[in-house]
Amino acid sequence: MNRKKVIRILLEIIRYVIIIFGAFWMILPFFWLFSASLMSPQELMSDVPKWLPEKPQWNNYLQVLKRIPILTYYKNSLIVAGSVTLLVLLTSSMAGFAFAKLRFLGRKILFSFVLSTMMFPVFIFLIPVYYLMKLFGWLNTYLSLIVPFAVSGYGIFLMRQFILTIPDELLDCARLDGAKEFKIYTWIILPLIKPALATLAILTFIGQWNSFLWPLIVTSTAQRLMTLPVGISRLSLAFSTVETQHLILTALVYQVIPMVVVFLYLQRYYIRGFVLSGFGNL
Amino acid sequence: MAGLSETKGPVRRKKLKTNTGAGYAFLAPALLFYSIFFIYPVIFSFIVSTKRWNMLVPLSRARNVGFSEYSYLLRDQMFLGVFRNTLVYALATVSLTIVVALVLAVLINNAKLSVLWRFIYFAPVVTPQVAIGTIWGYLYRPNNGLFNSILRLFGIKPIYWLTDPNVALWSIIITAIWAGIGGSMLIITAGLKNIPQDYYDAAKIDGAGPFRQFFHITVPLLSPTLLFLTATGFIGAWQVFDLPFTMGRNAPARSVMTVSWYVYETAFQSLRMGRASAGAFLLFCVIFGFTLFILWLFRRGGIKGYE
Repeated sequence: MNRKKVIRILLEIIRYVIIIFGAFWMILPFFWLFSASLMSPQELMSDVPKWLPEKPQWNNYLQVLKRIPILTYYKNSLIVAGSVTLLVLLTSSMAGFAFAKLRFLGRKILFSFVLSTMMFPVFIFLIPVYYLMKLFGWLNTYLSLIVPFAVSGYGIFLMRQFILTIPDELLDCARLDGAKEFKIYTWIILPLIKPALATLAILTFIGQWNSFLWPLIVTSTAQRLMTLPVGISRLSLAFSTVETQHLILTALVYQVIPMVVVFLYLQRYYIRGFVLSGFGNL
Repeated sequence: MAGLSETKGPVRRKKLKTNTGAGYAFLAPALLFYSIFFIYPVIFSFIVSTKRWNMLVPLSRARNVGFSEYSYLLRDQMFLGVFRNTLVYALATVSLTIVVALVLAVLINNAKLSVLWRFIYFAPVVTPQVAIGTIWGYLYRPNNGLFNSILRLFGIKPIYWLTDPNVALWSIIITAIWAGIGGSMLIITAGLKNIPQDYYDAAKIDGAGPFRQFFHITVPLLSPTLLFLTATGFIGAWQVFDLPFTMGRNAPARSVMTVSWYVYETAFQSLRMGRASAGAFLLFCVIFGFTLFILWLFRRGGIKGYE
Protein backbone atom coordinates (compact mmCIF):
# COMPACT_ATOMS: atom_id res chain seq x y z
CA MET A 1 0.00 0.00 0.00
CA ASN A 2 2.66 2.43 1.03
CA ARG A 3 4.90 1.44 -1.85
CA LYS A 4 2.07 2.11 -4.31
CA LYS A 5 1.64 5.60 -2.93
CA VAL A 6 5.34 6.37 -3.29
CA ILE A 7 5.30 5.19 -6.89
CA ARG A 8 2.26 7.32 -7.65
CA ILE A 9 3.86 10.43 -6.19
CA LEU A 10 7.06 9.70 -8.10
CA LEU A 11 5.13 9.37 -11.36
CA GLU A 12 3.39 12.68 -10.69
CA ILE A 13 6.75 14.36 -10.12
CA ILE A 14 8.16 12.89 -13.34
CA ARG A 15 5.05 14.06 -15.17
CA TYR A 16 5.47 17.68 -14.12
CA VAL A 17 9.22 17.61 -14.69
CA ILE A 18 8.58 16.56 -18.30
CA ILE A 19 5.84 19.17 -18.82
CA ILE A 20 7.96 21.99 -17.40
CA PHE A 21 11.10 20.85 -19.20
CA GLY A 22 9.16 20.87 -22.48
CA ALA A 23 7.61 24.25 -21.74
CA PHE A 24 11.10 25.64 -21.07
CA TRP A 25 12.23 24.64 -24.57
CA MET A 26 9.05 26.02 -26.09
CA ILE A 27 9.58 29.42 -24.48
CA LEU A 28 13.35 29.61 -24.86
CA PRO A 29 13.49 30.72 -28.54
CA PHE A 30 10.84 33.39 -27.93
CA PHE A 31 12.54 34.59 -24.77
CA TRP A 32 15.91 34.73 -26.47
CA LEU A 33 14.45 36.56 -29.48
CA PHE A 34 13.02 39.27 -27.24
CA SER A 35 16.20 39.53 -25.22
CA ALA A 36 18.45 39.61 -28.30
CA SER A 37 16.25 42.25 -29.94
CA LEU A 38 17.52 44.65 -27.24
CA MET A 39 21.20 43.78 -27.57
CA SER A 40 23.99 45.80 -29.11
CA PRO A 41 25.77 44.28 -32.14
CA GLN A 42 28.82 43.45 -29.99
CA GLU A 43 26.72 41.57 -27.46
CA LEU A 44 24.96 39.54 -30.14
CA MET A 45 28.27 38.53 -31.73
CA SER A 46 30.22 37.92 -28.52
CA ASP A 47 31.92 34.53 -28.19
CA VAL A 48 30.10 33.76 -24.95
CA PRO A 49 26.41 34.08 -25.86
CA LYS A 50 24.50 36.36 -23.53
CA TRP A 51 21.06 35.54 -22.15
CA LEU A 52 20.24 39.16 -21.35
CA PRO A 53 21.49 42.49 -22.71
CA GLU A 54 23.58 44.47 -20.26
CA LYS A 55 21.83 47.69 -21.17
CA PRO A 56 18.59 47.22 -23.17
CA GLN A 57 18.87 49.08 -26.49
CA TRP A 58 15.26 50.21 -26.93
CA ASN A 59 16.52 52.39 -29.73
CA ASN A 60 16.77 49.23 -31.87
CA TYR A 61 13.02 49.31 -32.33
CA LEU A 62 13.09 52.84 -33.72
CA GLN A 63 15.99 51.99 -36.00
CA VAL A 64 14.03 49.13 -37.59
CA LEU A 65 11.03 51.35 -38.30
CA LYS A 66 13.32 53.83 -40.00
CA ARG A 67 15.13 51.28 -42.15
CA ILE A 68 12.50 48.89 -43.48
CA PRO A 69 8.87 49.44 -44.56
CA ILE A 70 7.40 47.16 -41.93
CA LEU A 71 4.07 49.00 -41.93
CA THR A 72 3.74 48.37 -45.67
CA TYR A 73 4.35 44.66 -45.08
CA TYR A 74 1.64 44.72 -42.42
CA LYS A 75 -0.77 46.50 -44.73
CA ASN A 76 -0.15 44.04 -47.59
CA SER A 77 -0.53 41.01 -45.34
CA LEU A 78 -3.78 42.39 -43.92
CA ILE A 79 -5.23 43.12 -47.37
CA VAL A 80 -4.27 39.73 -48.77
CA ALA A 81 -5.22 37.59 -45.76
CA GLY A 82 -8.43 39.56 -45.22
CA SER A 83 -9.61 39.32 -48.84
CA VAL A 84 -8.78 35.64 -49.14
CA THR A 85 -10.63 34.94 -45.91
CA LEU A 86 -13.78 36.73 -47.10
CA LEU A 87 -13.73 34.94 -50.45
CA VAL A 88 -13.16 31.55 -48.85
CA LEU A 89 -16.04 32.09 -46.42
CA LEU A 90 -18.36 32.95 -49.29
CA THR A 91 -17.38 30.18 -51.70
CA SER A 92 -17.13 27.51 -48.99
CA SER A 93 -20.51 28.24 -47.45
CA MET A 94 -22.19 28.29 -50.87
CA ALA A 95 -20.62 25.03 -52.03
CA GLY A 96 -21.06 23.48 -48.59
CA PHE A 97 -24.77 24.33 -48.72
CA ALA A 98 -25.13 22.73 -52.15
CA PHE A 99 -23.34 19.54 -51.09
CA ALA A 100 -25.22 19.23 -47.80
CA LYS A 101 -28.76 20.29 -48.64
CA LEU A 102 -29.40 20.23 -52.38
CA ARG A 103 -29.83 17.16 -54.56
CA PHE A 104 -28.45 17.26 -58.06
CA LEU A 105 -26.80 15.07 -60.61
CA GLY A 106 -23.12 14.40 -59.91
CA ARG A 107 -23.19 15.60 -56.32
CA LYS A 108 -21.25 12.66 -54.93
CA ILE A 109 -18.60 12.67 -57.64
CA LEU A 110 -18.07 16.41 -57.35
CA PHE A 111 -17.72 16.16 -53.58
CA SER A 112 -15.14 13.39 -53.90
CA PHE A 113 -13.33 15.60 -56.40
CA VAL A 114 -13.27 18.50 -53.93
CA LEU A 115 -11.87 16.22 -51.21
CA SER A 116 -9.20 14.87 -53.54
CA THR A 117 -7.97 18.37 -54.43
CA MET A 118 -6.62 18.59 -50.89
CA MET A 119 -4.12 15.87 -51.75
CA PHE A 120 -2.40 17.84 -54.48
CA PRO A 121 0.82 19.51 -53.38
CA VAL A 122 1.27 23.23 -53.97
CA PHE A 123 4.43 22.80 -56.01
CA ILE A 124 2.50 21.34 -58.96
CA PHE A 125 0.62 24.62 -59.32
CA LEU A 126 3.47 27.12 -59.05
CA ILE A 127 4.42 27.23 -62.73
CA PRO A 128 0.97 27.05 -64.38
CA VAL A 129 -0.68 29.52 -62.00
CA TYR A 130 2.23 31.95 -62.32
CA TYR A 131 1.81 31.68 -66.08
CA LEU A 132 -1.93 32.36 -65.72
CA MET A 133 -1.24 35.44 -63.61
CA LYS A 134 1.11 36.69 -66.29
CA LEU A 135 -1.50 35.95 -68.95
CA PHE A 136 -4.24 37.80 -67.04
CA GLY A 137 -1.89 40.72 -66.42
CA TRP A 138 -2.35 40.28 -62.67
CA LEU A 139 1.32 40.18 -61.72
CA ASN A 140 2.22 43.32 -59.76
CA THR A 141 -1.32 43.51 -58.36
CA TYR A 142 -2.95 42.14 -55.22
CA LEU A 143 -5.12 39.92 -57.44
CA SER A 144 -2.23 37.53 -58.03
CA LEU A 145 -1.91 37.03 -54.26
CA ILE A 146 -5.63 36.70 -53.58
CA VAL A 147 -7.56 35.02 -56.38
CA PRO A 148 -5.57 31.72 -56.58
CA PHE A 149 -6.67 31.03 -52.97
CA ALA A 150 -10.33 32.05 -53.28
CA VAL A 151 -11.65 28.48 -52.94
CA SER A 152 -10.53 25.96 -50.34
CA GLY A 153 -11.33 22.26 -50.42
CA TYR A 154 -10.96 22.06 -46.67
CA GLY A 155 -13.34 25.01 -46.27
CA ILE A 156 -16.01 23.36 -48.41
CA PHE A 157 -15.61 20.12 -46.46
CA LEU A 158 -15.89 21.94 -43.11
CA MET A 159 -19.00 23.89 -44.15
CA ARG A 160 -20.70 20.79 -45.53
CA GLN A 161 -20.11 18.92 -42.29
CA PHE A 162 -21.65 21.73 -40.29
CA ILE A 163 -24.60 22.42 -42.59
CA LEU A 164 -25.49 18.69 -42.52
CA THR A 165 -26.42 19.11 -38.84
CA ILE A 166 -29.14 21.67 -39.69
CA PRO A 167 -32.49 19.81 -39.80
CA ASP A 168 -34.10 19.47 -43.25
CA GLU A 169 -37.52 20.26 -41.79
CA LEU A 170 -36.41 23.81 -41.17
CA LEU A 171 -35.56 24.31 -44.84
CA ASP A 172 -38.73 22.53 -46.00
CA CYS A 173 -40.88 24.87 -43.92
CA ALA A 174 -39.26 27.83 -45.62
CA ARG A 175 -39.74 26.20 -49.03
CA LEU A 176 -43.45 25.66 -48.30
CA ASP A 177 -43.67 29.36 -47.56
CA GLY A 178 -42.33 29.94 -51.04
CA ALA A 179 -38.73 30.79 -50.24
CA LYS A 180 -36.23 30.26 -53.04
CA GLU A 181 -32.93 28.47 -52.34
CA PHE A 182 -30.99 31.72 -52.39
CA LYS A 183 -33.22 33.12 -49.66
CA ILE A 184 -32.80 29.94 -47.62
CA TYR A 185 -29.04 30.32 -47.91
CA THR A 186 -28.96 33.95 -46.82
CA TRP A 187 -31.74 33.90 -44.20
CA ILE A 188 -31.44 30.45 -42.64
CA ILE A 189 -28.09 28.83 -43.41
CA LEU A 190 -25.71 31.77 -42.99
CA PRO A 191 -27.03 32.89 -39.56
CA LEU A 192 -26.97 29.30 -38.27
CA ILE A 193 -23.38 28.56 -39.32
CA LYS A 194 -21.79 31.64 -37.81
CA PRO A 195 -19.64 29.64 -35.36
CA ALA A 196 -18.31 27.46 -38.17
CA LEU A 197 -17.64 30.53 -40.29
CA ALA A 198 -15.65 32.06 -37.43
CA THR A 199 -13.51 28.94 -37.21
CA LEU A 200 -12.90 28.81 -40.94
CA ALA A 201 -12.06 32.52 -40.91
CA ILE A 202 -9.38 32.06 -38.26
CA LEU A 203 -7.83 29.03 -39.96
CA THR A 204 -7.76 30.72 -43.36
CA PHE A 205 -6.41 33.96 -41.98
CA ILE A 206 -3.56 32.27 -40.07
CA GLY A 207 -2.68 30.21 -43.12
CA GLN A 208 -2.58 33.23 -45.41
CA TRP A 209 -0.82 35.45 -42.90
CA ASN A 210 2.03 32.95 -42.64
CA SER A 211 2.06 31.87 -46.28
CA PHE A 212 5.47 32.32 -47.85
CA LEU A 213 6.28 30.44 -51.05
CA TRP A 214 3.67 31.93 -53.38
CA PRO A 215 4.09 35.55 -52.21
CA LEU A 216 7.84 35.08 -52.56
CA ILE A 217 7.44 34.10 -56.20
CA VAL A 218 4.80 36.66 -57.14
CA THR A 219 6.30 39.69 -55.38
CA SER A 220 9.85 39.09 -56.58
CA THR A 221 9.25 41.78 -59.20
CA ALA A 222 6.94 43.96 -57.07
CA GLN A 223 8.52 45.04 -53.81
CA ARG A 224 5.60 47.25 -52.81
CA LEU A 225 3.35 44.16 -52.62
CA MET A 226 5.58 42.16 -50.30
CA THR A 227 3.84 40.51 -47.37
CA LEU A 228 5.31 40.03 -43.89
CA PRO A 229 6.92 36.60 -44.39
CA VAL A 230 8.58 37.75 -47.61
CA GLY A 231 9.77 40.86 -45.82
CA ILE A 232 11.22 38.74 -43.02
CA SER A 233 13.06 36.51 -45.44
CA ARG A 234 14.76 39.56 -46.94
CA LEU A 235 15.90 41.03 -43.64
CA SER A 236 19.41 39.68 -44.04
CA LEU A 237 19.63 41.72 -47.24
CA ALA A 238 18.33 44.88 -45.58
CA PHE A 239 20.64 44.55 -42.57
CA SER A 240 23.75 43.10 -44.13
CA THR A 241 26.40 45.28 -42.49
CA VAL A 242 27.98 44.46 -39.14
CA GLU A 243 26.53 47.57 -37.49
CA THR A 244 22.96 46.70 -38.48
CA GLN A 245 22.95 42.89 -38.28
CA HIS A 246 21.48 42.82 -34.80
CA LEU A 247 18.39 44.66 -36.05
CA ILE A 248 17.20 41.52 -37.86
CA LEU A 249 16.11 40.13 -34.52
CA THR A 250 14.41 43.36 -33.51
CA ALA A 251 12.48 43.35 -36.77
CA LEU A 252 11.41 39.76 -36.09
CA VAL A 253 9.80 40.82 -32.81
CA TYR A 254 7.59 43.23 -34.74
CA GLN A 255 6.40 40.34 -36.80
CA VAL A 256 6.14 37.57 -34.23
CA ILE A 257 4.67 39.09 -31.09
CA PRO A 258 1.38 40.64 -32.33
CA MET A 259 0.26 37.43 -34.04
CA VAL A 260 1.16 35.20 -31.14
CA VAL A 261 -0.78 37.40 -28.74
CA VAL A 262 -3.86 37.66 -30.95
CA PHE A 263 -4.00 34.06 -32.05
CA LEU A 264 -3.27 32.51 -28.69
CA TYR A 265 -6.45 34.16 -27.58
CA LEU A 266 -8.29 32.57 -30.50
CA GLN A 267 -6.97 29.03 -30.14
CA ARG A 268 -10.38 27.62 -29.18
CA TYR A 269 -11.61 28.34 -32.72
CA TYR A 270 -8.73 26.30 -34.01
CA ILE A 271 -9.86 23.34 -31.92
CA ARG A 272 -13.45 23.79 -33.01
CA GLY A 273 -12.49 23.43 -36.65
CA PHE A 274 -11.17 20.01 -35.84
CA VAL A 275 -14.21 19.08 -33.79
CA LEU A 276 -16.48 20.16 -36.63
CA SER A 277 -14.74 17.88 -39.08
CA GLY A 278 -15.93 14.99 -36.98
CA PHE A 279 -13.29 14.15 -34.38
CA GLY A 280 -13.47 14.48 -30.64
CA ASN A 281 -15.06 17.27 -28.72
CA LEU A 282 -13.77 19.90 -26.38
CA MET B 1 -16.59 9.71 -39.42
CA ALA B 2 -20.27 10.16 -38.74
CA GLY B 3 -20.94 13.23 -40.81
CA LEU B 4 -19.31 12.09 -44.01
CA SER B 5 -21.37 9.03 -44.79
CA GLU B 6 -25.02 9.30 -45.72
CA THR B 7 -26.77 8.73 -42.42
CA LYS B 8 -30.27 9.64 -43.52
CA GLY B 9 -32.77 6.88 -44.13
CA PRO B 10 -34.58 6.49 -47.47
CA VAL B 11 -37.78 8.06 -46.10
CA ARG B 12 -36.10 11.33 -45.24
CA ARG B 13 -34.08 11.37 -48.40
CA LYS B 14 -37.24 11.53 -50.48
CA LYS B 15 -38.04 14.90 -48.94
CA LEU B 16 -34.95 16.42 -50.51
CA LYS B 17 -36.25 17.36 -53.95
CA THR B 18 -33.88 17.09 -56.86
CA ASN B 19 -32.91 20.62 -57.71
CA THR B 20 -30.11 20.55 -60.24
CA GLY B 21 -30.36 24.22 -61.21
CA ALA B 22 -29.95 25.53 -57.68
CA GLY B 23 -27.25 22.98 -56.90
CA TYR B 24 -25.04 24.07 -59.76
CA ALA B 25 -25.81 27.74 -59.15
CA PHE B 26 -24.37 27.49 -55.64
CA LEU B 27 -21.43 25.44 -56.88
CA ALA B 28 -20.72 27.77 -59.80
CA PRO B 29 -17.98 29.87 -58.15
CA ALA B 30 -16.17 26.80 -56.84
CA LEU B 31 -16.47 24.90 -60.13
CA LEU B 32 -15.27 27.89 -62.14
CA PHE B 33 -12.33 28.24 -59.76
CA TYR B 34 -11.41 24.56 -59.93
CA SER B 35 -11.46 24.50 -63.70
CA ILE B 36 -9.16 27.53 -63.98
CA PHE B 37 -6.89 27.00 -60.97
CA PHE B 38 -6.91 23.24 -60.60
CA ILE B 39 -7.79 21.17 -63.67
CA TYR B 40 -6.18 23.47 -66.22
CA PRO B 41 -2.92 23.83 -64.22
CA VAL B 42 -2.56 20.08 -63.67
CA ILE B 43 -2.91 19.40 -67.40
CA PHE B 44 -0.78 22.40 -68.35
CA SER B 45 1.88 21.32 -65.88
CA PHE B 46 2.02 17.85 -67.36
CA ILE B 47 2.39 19.23 -70.89
CA VAL B 48 5.14 21.57 -69.72
CA SER B 49 7.00 18.63 -68.20
CA THR B 50 7.49 17.24 -71.71
CA LYS B 51 8.91 20.49 -73.13
CA ARG B 52 11.98 22.63 -72.89
CA TRP B 53 10.46 25.97 -71.95
CA ASN B 54 11.61 29.09 -70.11
CA MET B 55 8.24 30.91 -69.92
CA LEU B 56 9.68 33.83 -71.89
CA VAL B 57 8.31 32.55 -75.22
CA PRO B 58 4.80 31.16 -75.87
CA LEU B 59 4.49 27.50 -74.92
CA SER B 60 3.63 26.56 -78.49
CA ARG B 61 7.13 27.59 -79.58
CA ALA B 62 8.79 25.40 -76.93
CA ARG B 63 10.69 22.31 -78.10
CA ASN B 64 9.13 18.95 -77.40
CA VAL B 65 11.44 16.66 -75.46
CA GLY B 66 9.08 13.84 -74.52
CA PHE B 67 9.85 12.17 -71.23
CA SER B 68 13.55 12.94 -71.32
CA GLU B 69 13.32 15.28 -68.30
CA TYR B 70 11.83 12.46 -66.26
CA SER B 71 14.58 10.02 -67.18
CA TYR B 72 17.16 12.75 -66.59
CA LEU B 73 15.83 13.42 -63.08
CA LEU B 74 15.70 9.76 -62.14
CA ARG B 75 19.43 9.52 -62.89
CA ASP B 76 20.36 12.94 -61.48
CA GLN B 77 22.23 12.62 -58.18
CA MET B 78 21.12 16.06 -57.10
CA PHE B 79 17.42 15.39 -57.63
CA LEU B 80 17.66 12.01 -55.94
CA GLY B 81 19.29 13.75 -52.98
CA VAL B 82 16.49 16.30 -52.89
CA PHE B 83 14.02 13.45 -53.04
CA ARG B 84 15.75 11.62 -50.19
CA ASN B 85 15.80 14.79 -48.04
CA THR B 86 12.08 15.28 -48.51
CA LEU B 87 11.39 11.64 -47.67
CA VAL B 88 13.53 11.70 -44.52
CA TYR B 89 12.05 15.02 -43.46
CA ALA B 90 8.45 13.86 -43.92
CA LEU B 91 8.87 10.48 -42.22
CA ALA B 92 10.83 11.85 -39.27
CA THR B 93 8.79 15.00 -38.72
CA VAL B 94 5.36 13.42 -38.96
CA SER B 95 6.09 10.37 -36.82
CA LEU B 96 8.14 12.15 -34.14
CA THR B 97 5.73 15.09 -33.89
CA ILE B 98 2.80 12.74 -33.31
CA VAL B 99 4.64 10.64 -30.73
CA VAL B 100 5.88 13.65 -28.76
CA ALA B 101 2.51 15.42 -29.01
CA LEU B 102 0.67 12.28 -27.91
CA VAL B 103 2.83 11.82 -24.82
CA LEU B 104 2.62 15.50 -23.90
CA ALA B 105 -1.13 15.71 -24.51
CA VAL B 106 -1.74 12.76 -22.22
CA LEU B 107 0.56 14.21 -19.55
CA ILE B 108 -1.02 17.66 -19.75
CA ASN B 109 -4.62 16.41 -19.93
CA ASN B 110 -6.11 16.99 -16.44
CA ALA B 111 -2.80 18.38 -15.19
CA LYS B 112 -2.73 21.52 -13.10
CA LEU B 113 -2.53 24.69 -15.23
CA SER B 114 -3.33 22.65 -18.37
CA VAL B 115 -4.66 25.76 -20.14
CA LEU B 116 -1.37 27.56 -19.55
CA TRP B 117 0.70 24.62 -20.82
CA ARG B 118 -1.39 24.34 -23.97
CA PHE B 119 -0.96 28.08 -24.58
CA ILE B 120 2.79 27.75 -24.32
CA TYR B 121 3.05 24.73 -26.60
CA PHE B 122 0.68 26.32 -29.12
CA ALA B 123 2.60 29.58 -29.61
CA PRO B 124 4.84 28.40 -32.50
CA VAL B 125 1.81 27.19 -34.47
CA VAL B 126 0.72 30.77 -35.11
CA THR B 127 4.23 32.10 -35.66
CA PRO B 128 5.32 32.42 -39.30
CA GLN B 129 7.68 29.56 -40.18
CA VAL B 130 10.01 32.03 -41.82
CA ALA B 131 10.41 33.80 -38.48
CA ILE B 132 10.89 30.49 -36.65
CA GLY B 133 13.56 29.48 -39.12
CA THR B 134 15.42 32.77 -38.69
CA ILE B 135 15.33 32.63 -34.88
CA TRP B 136 16.53 29.03 -34.79
CA GLY B 137 19.23 29.92 -37.29
CA TYR B 138 20.69 32.20 -34.62
CA LEU B 139 20.27 29.64 -31.83
CA TYR B 140 22.11 27.09 -34.00
CA ARG B 141 25.13 29.33 -34.69
CA PRO B 142 28.29 27.22 -34.23
CA ASN B 143 30.47 29.64 -32.24
CA ASN B 144 28.18 32.09 -30.52
CA GLY B 145 24.83 30.29 -30.63
CA LEU B 146 22.88 29.51 -27.51
CA PHE B 147 22.62 25.75 -28.06
CA ASN B 148 26.33 25.16 -28.38
CA SER B 149 26.99 27.30 -25.32
CA ILE B 150 24.57 25.09 -23.35
CA LEU B 151 26.33 21.99 -24.68
CA ARG B 152 29.65 23.49 -23.60
CA LEU B 153 28.35 23.62 -20.02
CA PHE B 154 28.16 19.83 -20.16
CA GLY B 155 31.56 19.56 -21.78
CA ILE B 156 30.19 18.58 -25.19
CA LYS B 157 32.04 19.76 -28.28
CA PRO B 158 30.21 22.31 -30.46
CA ILE B 159 27.92 20.84 -33.12
CA TYR B 160 27.83 22.41 -36.57
CA TRP B 161 24.04 22.35 -36.60
CA LEU B 162 23.38 23.92 -39.98
CA THR B 163 26.73 23.60 -41.75
CA ASP B 164 27.55 19.91 -41.26
CA PRO B 165 25.84 18.10 -44.17
CA ASN B 166 25.12 15.06 -41.99
CA VAL B 167 23.46 17.12 -39.28
CA ALA B 168 21.74 20.03 -41.05
CA LEU B 169 18.60 18.20 -42.14
CA TRP B 170 18.10 16.81 -38.65
CA SER B 171 18.51 20.26 -37.12
CA ILE B 172 15.69 21.46 -39.35
CA ILE B 173 13.60 18.43 -38.39
CA ILE B 174 14.07 19.31 -34.70
CA THR B 175 12.82 22.82 -35.40
CA ALA B 176 9.86 21.49 -37.37
CA ILE B 177 8.89 19.19 -34.50
CA TRP B 178 9.22 22.06 -32.04
CA ALA B 179 6.94 24.13 -34.25
CA GLY B 180 4.38 21.40 -34.86
CA ILE B 181 3.85 19.83 -31.43
CA GLY B 182 1.27 22.39 -30.29
CA GLY B 183 -1.13 21.91 -33.20
CA SER B 184 -1.09 18.11 -32.96
CA MET B 185 -1.42 18.33 -29.20
CA LEU B 186 -4.63 20.34 -29.40
CA ILE B 187 -6.16 17.88 -31.81
CA ILE B 188 -5.13 14.90 -29.68
CA THR B 189 -6.52 16.62 -26.58
CA ALA B 190 -9.86 17.02 -28.34
CA GLY B 191 -9.79 13.28 -29.04
CA LEU B 192 -8.84 12.47 -25.45
CA LYS B 193 -11.86 14.32 -24.10
CA ASN B 194 -14.00 12.00 -26.18
CA ILE B 195 -12.85 8.83 -24.43
CA PRO B 196 -15.34 7.96 -21.66
CA GLN B 197 -13.81 8.13 -18.19
CA ASP B 198 -15.58 4.82 -17.35
CA TYR B 199 -13.00 2.89 -19.38
CA TYR B 200 -10.19 4.18 -17.20
CA ASP B 201 -12.16 3.57 -14.02
CA ALA B 202 -12.84 -0.02 -15.06
CA ALA B 203 -9.18 -0.51 -15.94
CA LYS B 204 -8.12 0.81 -12.55
CA ILE B 205 -10.41 -1.65 -10.77
CA ASP B 206 -8.78 -4.43 -12.78
CA GLY B 207 -5.44 -3.16 -11.52
CA ALA B 208 -4.07 -1.69 -14.79
CA GLY B 209 -1.33 0.92 -14.22
CA PRO B 210 -0.96 4.17 -16.19
CA PHE B 211 1.22 2.58 -18.87
CA ARG B 212 -1.21 -0.25 -19.59
CA GLN B 213 -4.06 2.25 -19.66
CA PHE B 214 -2.12 4.31 -22.19
CA PHE B 215 -1.40 1.42 -24.55
CA HIS B 216 -4.65 -0.49 -24.15
CA ILE B 217 -7.22 2.32 -23.90
CA THR B 218 -5.83 5.68 -24.99
CA VAL B 219 -3.90 4.67 -28.11
CA PRO B 220 -6.52 2.33 -29.65
CA LEU B 221 -9.39 4.74 -29.01
CA LEU B 222 -7.39 7.64 -30.41
CA SER B 223 -6.54 5.85 -33.64
CA PRO B 224 -8.98 7.83 -35.86
CA THR B 225 -7.39 11.03 -34.54
CA LEU B 226 -3.90 9.65 -35.12
CA LEU B 227 -4.87 8.64 -38.66
CA PHE B 228 -6.12 12.17 -39.32
CA LEU B 229 -2.85 13.62 -38.02
CA THR B 230 -0.77 11.17 -40.04
CA ALA B 231 -2.62 11.78 -43.31
CA THR B 232 -2.73 15.56 -43.05
CA GLY B 233 0.76 15.69 -41.57
CA PHE B 234 2.29 13.89 -44.52
CA ILE B 235 0.45 16.00 -47.07
CA GLY B 236 1.92 19.10 -45.41
CA ALA B 237 5.39 17.64 -44.88
CA TRP B 238 5.95 16.59 -48.51
CA GLN B 239 5.59 20.22 -49.59
CA VAL B 240 7.79 21.73 -46.90
CA PHE B 241 9.58 24.86 -48.07
CA ASP B 242 9.75 27.64 -45.48
CA LEU B 243 12.01 26.07 -42.84
CA PRO B 244 14.64 24.46 -45.12
CA PHE B 245 14.70 27.56 -47.31
CA THR B 246 15.28 29.99 -44.43
CA MET B 247 17.60 27.76 -42.38
CA GLY B 248 19.47 25.84 -45.04
CA ARG B 249 20.78 28.54 -47.32
CA ASN B 250 24.27 28.11 -45.90
CA ALA B 251 24.11 24.33 -45.72
CA PRO B 252 26.74 22.68 -47.93
CA ALA B 253 26.04 20.84 -51.17
CA ARG B 254 22.28 21.22 -50.95
CA SER B 255 22.12 18.74 -48.11
CA VAL B 256 18.76 20.14 -46.99
CA MET B 257 17.09 21.05 -50.27
CA THR B 258 13.50 19.75 -50.52
CA VAL B 259 11.32 19.18 -53.56
CA SER B 260 9.37 22.45 -53.16
CA TRP B 261 12.64 24.34 -52.98
CA TYR B 262 13.99 22.43 -55.98
CA VAL B 263 10.90 23.28 -58.03
CA TYR B 264 11.11 26.93 -56.95
CA GLU B 265 14.77 27.20 -57.85
CA THR B 266 14.62 25.22 -61.09
CA ALA B 267 11.56 27.10 -62.33
CA PHE B 268 12.02 30.64 -61.09
CA GLN B 269 15.81 30.96 -60.82
CA SER B 270 17.05 28.71 -63.65
CA LEU B 271 13.91 29.08 -65.79
CA ARG B 272 13.77 25.35 -66.59
CA MET B 273 9.99 24.96 -66.45
CA GLY B 274 9.98 21.48 -67.99
CA ARG B 275 12.46 19.97 -65.57
CA ALA B 276 10.74 21.61 -62.58
CA SER B 277 7.33 20.30 -63.65
CA ALA B 278 8.70 16.81 -64.17
CA GLY B 279 10.21 16.85 -60.68
CA ALA B 280 6.92 18.05 -59.21
CA PHE B 281 5.01 15.28 -60.96
CA LEU B 282 7.44 12.60 -59.84
CA LEU B 283 7.01 13.53 -56.19
CA PHE B 284 3.28 13.85 -56.61
CA CYS B 285 3.07 10.24 -57.79
CA VAL B 286 4.98 9.17 -54.70
CA ILE B 287 2.73 11.22 -52.41
CA PHE B 288 -0.37 9.81 -54.03
CA GLY B 289 0.77 6.23 -53.66
CA PHE B 290 1.95 6.86 -50.13
CA THR B 291 -1.37 8.39 -49.00
CA LEU B 292 -3.31 5.46 -50.42
CA PHE B 293 -0.89 3.11 -48.67
CA ILE B 294 -1.40 4.84 -45.30
CA LEU B 295 -5.17 4.73 -45.66
CA TRP B 296 -5.00 1.04 -46.63
CA LEU B 297 -2.72 0.31 -43.69
CA PHE B 298 -5.07 1.91 -41.22
CA ARG B 299 -8.14 0.34 -42.76
CA ARG B 300 -6.54 -3.08 -42.44
CA GLY B 301 -6.21 -2.26 -38.75
CA GLY B 302 -9.93 -1.58 -38.68
CA ILE B 303 -9.76 2.21 -38.61
CA LYS B 304 -12.01 4.14 -40.95
CA GLY B 305 -11.53 7.61 -39.63
CA TYR B 306 -10.63 9.70 -42.62
CA GLU B 307 -11.88 9.02 -46.09
